[in-house]
Amino acid sequence: MVQIVISSKAGEGPAEWLLVELQGEMVSRQNTGLAGNLMGDLHYTKEGVPVLVVGHHILYGKQVKLEKPFDEEENMETNQENPTSYTVSALIKKKLIFKTRPKPIITNVPKKV
Amino acid sequence: MVHDLLESFIVMSVFFISLIIRGDKDEHAVLCNEDETYDLKIADTSNLLLFVPGCKTPDQLPDISASPQLVHAQIWGFSNCYWELRRQRPRLKKLKKLLMENPYDGPAVGMQEEAPGPKYTMDDLLERIQASREEIEAHLQNVHACEIDGFWRILDFDYEMKLLGHVTQLVDSESWSFSKVPLSVCLEELGSLEPKSMIEHCLNCYGRRYSNEDGQVIYALDEDKVCRATAQLLLQNAVKFNLSEFQEVWQQSVPEGMSARLDQLRGLALLDRSSKPETISLLRIEDLPEDTLERFNSLFSLREKWTQDDIEPYIQDLCGEKQTTGALLTKHARSSVQNGVKVYNSRRPIAT
Repeated sequence: MVQIVISSKAGEGPAEWLLVELQGEMVSRQNTGLAGNLMGDLHYTKEGVPVLVVGHHILYGKQVKLEKPFDEEENMETNQENPTSYTVSALIKKKLIFKTRPKPIITNVPKKV
Repeated sequence: MVHDLLESFIVMSVFFISLIIRGDKDEHAVLCNEDETYDLKIADTSNLLLFVPGCKTPDQLPDISASPQLVHAQIWGFSNCYWELRRQRPRLKKLKKLLMENPYDGPAVGMQEEAPGPKYTMDDLLERIQASREEIEAHLQNVHACEIDGFWRILDFDYEMKLLGHVTQLVDSESWSFSKVPLSVCLEELGSLEPKSMIEHCLNCYGRRYSNEDGQVIYALDEDKVCRATAQLLLQNAVKFNLSEFQEVWQQSVPEGMSARLDQLRGLALLDRSSKPETISLLRIEDLPEDTLERFNSLFSLREKWTQDDIEPYIQDLCGEKQTTGALLTKHARSSVQNGVKVYNSRRPIAT
């Protein structure tokens, strides 16, 4: 049987990360891949409402506290002697969820004559 | 399934101490902390989950300053799936099965070494059983296992009864109260018959240990446990017994002063009040399948219709967190009324 140990790094607790949840898929223009690219801008309104601008779309979301926090785990090297082990690298307690339909941002609206 | 674990994955966590994932290649993986066991199931979402280390939310940012601030945050990664944890009852049936491969029936006689057979240390058990350490330790206590020379052993039932018999006979000859059985005298008087560690183990299984005012270790024998074990000894010798005959023999077999009552036999024996004469037979919950569906099938093939009171002790352990036996019955059985009493039968045809 396999036994895999998950532990937290000795001493400090894990860092706290933020989870951002989006509906749908994220693609890069011209299919260049996502890594290294700017995704978009995250703003917060005075009322604390998160606003995401991606490409020429704008999405409104909300901050939600997670009922059951998420652990983000990193794989460590396995060696023959010890079983595989993971350490918790981060804890996620809340998320920003964007469920509304993205609205296109139109900067030039011709006036009706 | 354990081999499918991703390089880095997300686990919904409810606790934060050391965790262990356990499973054989063909088993579903479970996650254990010190005292609980959780089912690991992969959950897919059509949403995209992005991880942003150190990204702050409005409550974490200082009050609005004069000039807007720009903070660079990097997305560490993203995922479409995560592992969901669901608390489950640990799969412990395997534990007894392993220990029953080589039950202990007393020290080797004369110069002989004990006959060879598989033996398991706690680490061996942790390697093989999909449960947390505390759940395993609790179950070892339930099955009256003890650690002998570093190995966890289950006692052969006849040997266990022999030990109990020595103790109860001594209590009788010394005219002790059942609740005031002194350890030191037991060890002194019985130490020549059986290893002292076994005498003490027997007292631990069938009594409650405490200290009196003089600091002496005393045991209070548990009437229910003693009577129940005596019943098992009688019932295992035949398929069925005439209920009233059994009750008579049983009362005569338990230590004088103890009362044998049918309610002590829940989960151990099944009464048939519809037959003439009424009968009783051995039916131990630990002999039934562990899986919920299989358990119900097994129970319904033994008896077509059950009252809730009769079936309850045999399904109690199947209840999930916050689930009642009533809810289980609604889910897995069909109810009807027979002679003014509510009974349950199988939802599907069962071969009897």
